[in-house]
Amino acid sequence: MQQNSKNFIEKQSEEVSGDAEMTETQNQTPTHAMNMGSMVKKHADRMSLANEDICINIKNFNLYYGSKQALKDITMDIPEKRVTAFIGPSGCGKSTLLRCINRMNDLIDTVHIEGQMLLHGDEINAKHINVAELRRRVGMVFQKPNPFPKSIYENVAYGLRIQGVSNRRALDAVVEKSLKGAALWEEVKDRLQDNAMGLSGGQQQRLVIARAIAIEPEVLLLDEPASALDPISTLKIEELIYELKDNYTIVIVTHNMQQAARVSDYTAYMYMGELIEYADTNTLFTNPKEKMTEDYITGRYG
Amino acid sequence: MSQSIKKWFDTGVPWIWLNAGAVSASVIMVSGLILLISVKALSHFWPAQLIAFDYLESDGSVSRYLGEITDEEITTAIRADLTELAGGPEVPVTRYLVKTGNRDISGLDFRWVASLRIQRSSHPENAMVVERREWGNFYGYPAAIKSNGETVSIGDSLWQDLQQRLERSNQLIEEINFIEKDLIGAINYKMERIRLKERGYELENITDPAKFRELEQQEAQLQDEYNELTERLDTLYEQARRDSLVATVVDGKEVEIPLAQVVRAFRPNAMSLTDKFGFYFMKMWEFVSEEPREANTEGGIFPAIFGTVMMVLIMSVMVTPFGVVAAVYLREYAKQGVITRTIRIAVNNLAGVPSIVYGVFGLGFFVYFLGGSIDQLFFPEALPAPTFGTPGILWASLTLAILTVPVVIVATEEGLSRVPREIREGSLALGATKAETLWRTVLPMTAPAMMTGLILAVARAAGEVAPLMLVGVVKLAPSLPLDGNFPFLHLDRKFMHLGFHIYDVGFQSPNVEAARPLVYATAFLLVLIIIILNLTAMRIRNRLREKYRAAEQ
Amino acid sequence: MKPSDMSQHISKQFDDELENIRESVLGMGGLVEQQLVKAIQSLIESEVELAEDVIANEFDVNNMEVSIDEDCTKILARRQPAASDLRLVMAVIKTITDLERIGDEAEKIAKMGIDLAERQGARSYYIGINSMGNHVRRMLNGALDAFARMDSKAALEVAEEEPESDQMYVAILRQLVTYMMEDPRNITGAIDAVLTARAMERIGDHARNICEYVIYFVEGKDVRHISIEEMKKELE
Repeated sequence: MQQNSKNFIEKQSEEVSGDAEMTETQNQTPTHAMNMGSMVKKHADRMSLANEDICINIKNFNLYYGSKQALKDITMDIPEKRVTAFIGPSGCGKSTLLRCINRMNDLIDTVHIEGQMLLHGDEINAKHINVAELRRRVGMVFQKPNPFPKSIYENVAYGLRIQGVSNRRALDAVVEKSLKGAALWEEVKDRLQDNAMGLSGGQQQRLVIARAIAIEPEVLLLDEPASALDPISTLKIEELIYELKDNYTIVIVTHNMQQAARVSDYTAYMYMGELIEYADTNTLFTNPKEKMTEDYITGRYG
Repeated sequence: MSQSIKKWFDTGVPWIWLNAGAVSASVIMVSGLILLISVKALSHFWPAQLIAFDYLESDGSVSRYLGEITDEEITTAIRADLTELAGGPEVPVTRYLVKTGNRDISGLDFRWVASLRIQRSSHPENAMVVERREWGNFYGYPAAIKSNGETVSIGDSLWQDLQQRLERSNQLIEEINFIEKDLIGAINYKMERIRLKERGYELENITDPAKFRELEQQEAQLQDEYNELTERLDTLYEQARRDSLVATVVDGKEVEIPLAQVVRAFRPNAMSLTDKFGFYFMKMWEFVSEEPREANTEGGIFPAIFGTVMMVLIMSVMVTPFGVVAAVYLREYAKQGVITRTIRIAVNNLAGVPSIVYGVFGLGFFVYFLGGSIDQLFFPEALPAPTFGTPGILWASLTLAILTVPVVIVATEEGLSRVPREIREGSLALGATKAETLWRTVLPMTAPAMMTGLILAVARAAGEVAPLMLVGVVKLAPSLPLDGNFPFLHLDRKFMHLGFHIYDVGFQSPNVEAARPLVYATAFLLVLIIIILNLTAMRIRNRLREKYRAAEQ
Repeated sequence: MKPSDMSQHISKQFDDELENIRESVLGMGGLVEQQLVKAIQSLIESEVELAEDVIANEFDVNNMEVSIDEDCTKILARRQPAASDLRLVMAVIKTITDLERIGDEAEKIAKMGIDLAERQGARSYYIGINSMGNHVRRMLNGALDAFARMDSKAALEVAEEEPESDQMYVAILRQLVTYMMEDPRNITGAIDAVLTARAMERIGDHARNICEYVIYFVEGKDVRHISIEEMKKELE
């Protein structure tokens, strides 16, 4: 690395050797050159999956709805404490893949799967896995805000109550912490007992996120979390995602490519059940390797 | 021209008119029905003016009548046999239906009179109506009051004295009724139970004489109580027989009416408007709170109201959990396929089966089979007299529950299907199991739909008569299904029902004219009760809906 | 991967907008090339009118830069282009800056031409400059051609010629220094010639920059500030 930056400076001096003025300036300000060097270093030290801890490991994963194959041989590693976005046209299987991670597809009778999907080394689809337990480890937020028709407090406390926690003080603490974590506390702290249906769409979605993080999952799946929201609420959700990634592995499905570009560290482009390209977001959005990806993100798809 | 008509059709205006017309027709029909029933029902209790008139009979003689006009009609002279007086067979003439009462004296208490034959009419101040416990109303003029056979009151002070003495005699009658129905009724009930116990011992081959002795002792004690009460009754009857009212019938005859026979006496022509209103509401209260008299043509209909409401409540208690559980299984757990579809179709068609079929089924299955088995198993001592093996409120409620369960199932299923998938998934995603999701989230959100189903069920059940005639309703039930005798709720008893009461009073009554207003009044009350039940359920439903105003929008 | 055809966006309007700025860039390139040709001609053949023409047209070049810049800003704001579209817009923004600089240099050369025509002498200083002018003109032409055809190979070939212009510049400098040492009276004229050569060397640099942008746009690879050899390696 160091070598690289040095080369770069040398090269620059060489190149401008004819330009006496420039050469002088550079010689006079070595600190400036140092700064440049560190910038170059940063540039070269791009995000790379090879350097990440892996949270979810998907290998040769296939999924069928009856006889129709919806996911084809997906192999990818989802990194820990990063935001990974799935993009792709409707029906490409991105939501299906997302819903496999907490086995929401179990609800559909005709689904059958092959291949491996490990969460921190545990096979998600193993027979002996307690699905409810798995879903506590892998929280999910849906496209439409879906608060329960209960009070704000009860919504956040729901997951804990399911687990049998009834200690008022413990619940209070978790509710406050989760609402703060979802950047909603200031807006609702005086009306925790009000019905959650009275909140605005954006607030409802943040409430749902608060509800999900109240049970402290390892992974947070977001299925088009902002598609039903206005732009300001969307930005708030995106900001929240940015804050949450310090503590959670986040996987987000979105139709909005700009959103994926804004919030994610890694992006996977899927098409017709196949994983076409999976790369760090910067690369994928400036210089994708695959023509299909290129066509999709530049709006040439179809 | 045709072009413009076509254009007019294309604008859609005719369809709007058509729709509006249909809606208005429905509104008019419904409100007209309710208006008719309520006017007829509510005017029944108003104290009508008494009219006294001389009447030219068709044989030329003149007789005097006293009574109230209850109806009038315009007909042709020939039909009223008035051709000569009216001057032609087709001349319209007015006829009045006059209630003249005094059935015991004249045999008829209603008669049609032609207005043309009325010669002189007046509204005498002191004409009075005496409501009697038997024989219907008496119309006439008060003459004197006798106590122990001696005249004690006559002239101006008579009326006040009469009211005081009536109050006394009514109190006595009330006490007599209390003793006869409640106290002696309770003793009879206990005696019956002792007898059953004795019989039970015999059936179980228990020969321990101590037990029999105990029962005998109890019986003897009850017998003592009974004797005591009959003695008291005798004295009370004696006291009640003390006074009697001497009254003049309009044709001058004098009759003596024992005050024990009199419910109340009033002079409508002398009443002020306030008095009339007071009287009106008192009569209305009597109607809803008292028991019927004289083959249901007089008095109140309290047992019928009570029976109807009670039956509906029992039915609701049974149908709701049953329907909800069935719907939850069908919608949430059963594998959707041919079988569930078949079941659903069957359930829907069940709602279309004529209700009398349910009655037959209830009689055959519930009453004879289930009830018979229960009797054999649990009440062998009462046999051959059936306990549950005979029509009763339990079987009536169960029959109606079966009749209405499709409605509840369909409504609940509808409600379950309306709970958004996101809500279930939201709950599941938080680590809840399916059962937890159902119990904590889905079912509460379905509550409004369940209430809707229940409302429909109640509306249907309360109005149903035909099957009830087979499985438990009677025209006159001796006791209510709920009383002070252990175990308080008697599900085996027969009961009275407003719908059946309407049928009975309207079509089975010996005195059609007297019964007609009661039919209206009862119908009005039935409609009112159904409306109240529905409104209550709707209020609950709306409150629930407000509470669970979920992502339904 | 290669950028797809410009057209074929779902939004035809976006196609038109991109095509529009691309054509504008080529138009601007054509104008700048013309300016350069005229400036060199005025210098060599002492045609003052041509030089004045160049100075007058410089405004047009500047205006074109501003207008294309605006179009690019609009596209960025309204379309949020990604991948090759984004790279195209970025390349265009940078290319027009370089083109504008070339225009400035051409103007400088034209001004030298006027001075030279007035002074009527020292034409011998400009022998090497003539061929250098032709060289950079060819480079500019090649760069614009590569841009028009989105041809990274052609762009690389043009870029490869840039060191030659540096060498020509060094040679001219050396020659002029000799003149100045011979006779101090030559200094004024020679310095003009140095500045002219310097301007042409800059034009060569700008042309190479444009080639680098073309490579960035086509290949998605940033080849600035690396040697030609490294560039070649990158493109393999």
